[in-house]
Amino acid sequence: MRNLETIQPNQNLSEIDPVIAWSAWEPSSQEPWDARRLRHLMRRGGFGAKPPEVQTLTNGPVSNAVDALFGKHTAQSSEAFEQESAQIASGVRSGGNIESIAAWWLHRMLHSPSPLIEKMTLFWHGHFATGADKVKDTELMVQQNQLLREHALGDFRKMVHEVSKDPAMLLYLDSATNRKTHPNENYARELMELFCLGEGNYTEQDVQQLARCFTGWEIRRKSFRFNPYQHDSLTKKLFGIEGIESGEQAIDTVLAHRSMPTFIAGKLVRFFVCDEPNPTSEFLEPLAEEFRKSDFSIEPLVRKILSSKLMLSNWSIGKKVRSPIDFMIESMRSLQMTTNLDRLSKGLEGIGQALFNPPNVKGWDGGRSWINSSTLIGRSNLMVDMLKDPATRFGRGDLDAWLKSQQVSNPDQWLDWLAESLLSVQLDSSDKQRLLSATEKSEVGLDRWRKTLVALSQNPKMHLS
Amino acid sequence: MKRRNFGQLGIGACAGLAIGSGHPGGWLQTLAGELASQEDRWLHSDRILVVIQLTGGNDGLNTVVPYRDELYAKARPKLGIPTSDLIKIGDMGLHPSLKQLDGLLSEHRFMTIQGVGYSAPNRSHFESMDIWHSCHTKKDRTQSGWLGRMISQQGSSSSDSPVIHLGSEPLPLACQEKGVQVPSLASLEQMRLKSKIRQGGDSDLQSKHMESDRGRSEAGSLLDFVSTSTVAALEVSQRLETILVQPDATGDFPKTGLGEKLRAVSRLILSGVKTRVYYVTLDGFDTHANQPQVHANLLREWSEALSAFLVRLEQSGQQDRVLVMTFSEFGRRVSENASLGTDHGAAAPMFLAGPRLPRIIHGQNPDLSDLEDGDLKYQIDFRSVYAAVLDGWMHTDSRKALDGDYQALGQALELFA
Repeated sequence: MRNLETIQPNQNLSEIDPVIAWSAWEPSSQEPWDARRLRHLMRRGGFGAKPPEVQTLTNGPVSNAVDALFGKHTAQSSEAFEQESAQIASGVRSGGNIESIAAWWLHRMLHSPSPLIEKMTLFWHGHFATGADKVKDTELMVQQNQLLREHALGDFRKMVHEVSKDPAMLLYLDSATNRKTHPNENYARELMELFCLGEGNYTEQDVQQLARCFTGWEIRRKSFRFNPYQHDSLTKKLFGIEGIESGEQAIDTVLAHRSMPTFIAGKLVRFFVCDEPNPTSEFLEPLAEEFRKSDFSIEPLVRKILSSKLMLSNWSIGKKVRSPIDFMIESMRSLQMTTNLDRLSKGLEGIGQALFNPPNVKGWDGGRSWINSSTLIGRSNLMVDMLKDPATRFGRGDLDAWLKSQQVSNPDQWLDWLAESLLSVQLDSSDKQRLLSATEKSEVGLDRWRKTLVALSQNPKMHLS
Repeated sequence: MKRRNFGQLGIGACAGLAIGSGHPGGWLQTLAGELASQEDRWLHSDRILVVIQLTGGNDGLNTVVPYRDELYAKARPKLGIPTSDLIKIGDMGLHPSLKQLDGLLSEHRFMTIQGVGYSAPNRSHFESMDIWHSCHTKKDRTQSGWLGRMISQQGSSSSDSPVIHLGSEPLPLACQEKGVQVPSLASLEQMRLKSKIRQGGDSDLQSKHMESDRGRSEAGSLLDFVSTSTVAALEVSQRLETILVQPDATGDFPKTGLGEKLRAVSRLILSGVKTRVYYVTLDGFDTHANQPQVHANLLREWSEALSAFLVRLEQSGQQDRVLVMTFSEFGRRVSENASLGTDHGAAAPMFLAGPRLPRIIHGQNPDLSDLEDGDLKYQIDFRSVYAAVLDGWMHTDSRKALDGDYQALGQALELFA
């Protein structure tokens, strides 16, 4: 059956009907459900497909693949994984070293049977940005991370309430004290500007009034406590609405603002579908409606985005720049590569993505801002470092054994294999020629196999999703 | 004072050279002559601008203090700097952390420009910073900034990028513009490739490939962007290799973030790189709580790095060609808050340093009795300072860069005698 409602890859967002964009994608002869499309979905919704799952998931319906991102229908035991993760956590939690905590999280991204949960936790970490260097307490950072994970696909409103009392968040925003006589405006402003509504949807008066609602909210001995003596109990006015008293009421009022569903939908579209342009409110309306309908539950909204025509048609191919974590973790998952994750987390910091230390309260800008002279050279250098690291293994063994297991026996096959597994925008024949001739000779510490991967890291297509 | 010859500037086929100011002729020819000579001046100029951005909103009122005004002590019973600690310049006093600037002050090589801001001040970090970078206060700002647009208009006579950003934060909007590539360098050493893979052997092949990509790529502009960025990155890396193999003669710099950045800038300047503008940032000025120690440390980091930088340039006779301009996205509220800090404010001072300047303090002292929403009112639009620097120091035409005409306002400031 011909599907008349297809989206052409070269269409601008403004030319696409939003109802069509967000409706469920269906396979057709022009756009089959195949390994390439599966890999694209697993890349965007998670951290890439592991070789064993590619065939299974391509043979089943699209919904199975989406479910696999959520951790359903998987052969992998989540109990065993959680035990392993908890063991690693107990080893590093008391150490106070944030890079080791980051390494613990990278382990989860690499091995979790529910990659979407880790990806969403990463999304919320950038959204509710909090920096360990300022908080100066790794235990509180881990606690916040667990909070974000717990609510990652759950009730958005509940998450905002809990984040607003999270010690790491309040310490980061200098809101560990908020006194009646001089209300602290920092959390009030960021709650509206960055977490719930976006710029232009509130006034300076709203900031001042909201700050009054949070007076008396404190952190004492690393937990939240409400101090009635410091609380301004007169009523406040928010967005023209009178009679608001407590901080909790104020948060509910902010969450009820009409721009909230559109704002959150827009951020998720940027994270999963395309870096640019920023979609209009009209374009986001079907998603905002879904969010409202589900009483602000995140899972149905994310599912709708990942299953949509916009996501799964050829349109979204190459429409995102790979973040540093995307670049390394996707490569590692495809190659079943393990390495010294402490070193990896330091390396990721060097190319612009320090887990637990976003550059500022706006999180990571993403998109084109991942790419500059330093980070491009840095990405290639990081790949070299990881490939030369003595701790690095491929499928728990050495690279030669692993290549055999993938039936790769010459450089041509290797390049094809890498391109299929790692690239969203495919290489053309001149790309291939140059890469093959560039890696004819090995150099110190880098055999031809490794060198090909490094050469690929210097190719622009490696940095697009 | 000796001026080193940094080699030939590409004069190129500059027809304007033939039209001198004394050439007789009609209005059109005179205009063409003026334009040609402005382009000349840009091409021949060896002047450099270093922009230091203090990120977070520097508390200008505690940096340059109106100590004689009793309203100051009233508004800041805990945060007010004791008069005896200040470095006095007439009615105003500099924060004690700025004592490194003593030498510069006595030589008239440091100027405070008071009350800089813009109308309808925006107190969101990101919005206000965007305004300082794009020079637009309206919502429909384009994704471009004043330095990016400057390059787009003026171009460059050398293959060195006219603007370089040194730092690991994302490329500032100020340096962005369609079709313009400004390198972002986290550090000079990190730009060395650990595996030099010669892809195709020459950059001609790279650009030919990029051209064909542009024509048929499904991914369109993102692929273009990453492709162009990759070529640029590899070129910068190669260029820096030739500099980094030479010994580092920069000498003593404070071992702070800003110190390291300005050391790298000085290394590039002294090695003869033809870059005209360097952009660096110092973060941490958002002092909502526990301001005294934090602010003092940051001001010390700034003044020590600035001083070391200018001293190094002076040792090589370069101090008259480099202007350092320091700004922040807003000042802070006049009254302190209850967390021993200050909240986001509005107008604040900017600072110039380097060459000899006509005065030490420019502009009226802040009027603490005439506030707007608890904040200082601005006297000087920041774009007129940019215009003065672009037109009067850099020899460019500020109108395209600023996307507006602030030339007359800039000239009226008389910052450069």
